[in-house]
Amino acid sequence: MSIVTQSIAAADREARYLSLGELQAIKDFFATGQHRLQIAMILTEKESYIVDHASLRFWERCRVTPSNSGIPRFRASCMRDQAWYLRLVTYAIVADDVEPIRVIGTKGARTMYDSLGVPIQNVIECMRCLKEVSIDLLSIEDGQSVAPYFDYLIQGLQS
Amino acid sequence: MQDAITSLINTSDVQGRYLDDSGLERLTAYFHSGELRARSALSISANANTLVTQAVAKSLMYTDITAPGGNMYTCRRYAACIRDMDYFLRYATYAMLAGDVSILDERILNGLRETYNSLGVPISATIRAVQSLKEVTADLVGADAGKEMGRYFDHICAGLS
Repeated sequence: MSIVTQSIAAADREARYLSLGELQAIKDFFATGQHRLQIAMILTEKESYIVDHASLRFWERCRVTPSNSGIPRFRASCMRDQAWYLRLVTYAIVADDVEPIRVIGTKGARTMYDSLGVPIQNVIECMRCLKEVSIDLLSIEDGQSVAPYFDYLIQGLQS
Repeated sequence: MQDAITSLINTSDVQGRYLDDSGLERLTAYFHSGELRARSALSISANANTLVTQAVAKSLMYTDITAPGGNMYTCRRYAACIRDMDYFLRYATYAMLAGDVSILDERILNGLRETYNSLGVPISATIRAVQSLKEVTADLVGADAGKEMGRYFDHICAGLS
């Protein structure tokens, strides 16, 4: 849900139109929208660079992990999941809301990785690498605005 | 309930894709129209009662429907009609802000035709009234915003017929 849908839902619960303050917040959201799209575009275009470099960094830090055990399928899965989570982060940036990460990405993730025998701490370390490599590609300001989404993802995997 | 952004995210996610160029273009257009959307929502909410009164005067008030035997005869039914028009206007405004019709389907149209049929509310007169609401709203908010609002009023009509 973006702030637009959230405000509409809140107004609808009280059967009223949106207040001036709500509309002002929505206007600000619209005004910053183009810039959020640009950030998402950068991450989208650099997906393979980000995933490649994050993987290398991850395997340096976690040498003993399924994706670094020489089994091509595990390695491919690890990289696929990174791309998958990066995609969710771009959704969240565009919507300016963590819901896509939560609903699509972190709900049940822990259970899934446990059942696959992938150590969750390693997944989390991998996401930290993904965050670092992504943020290095952005300006300091944009990096700061994007970091909370990665942090939310990392938090969500921990719980 | 979705808006232009979340609906694009949901369709992209099902296919496991990043937001593509055409989607990004649509979102850019949506963000650019934000000022207009917020401004029209504000003026519609300030004039909601007048708009409904005007629309009813234009389409229903002087027809057989308000005469004895008509479906708007008795104040209770008249009031119910006004209330529904209020709903249509409010939800069309929500949908315009969201840039997406899903809220209309979920909160208004789902089962509405069946309800109206069982209550004997004439669908054609309702559609006529919604079309009038569309016209008076466009007069208030101007051509561009009026056209966008028209999309959602038309969606209500399509859902009723």
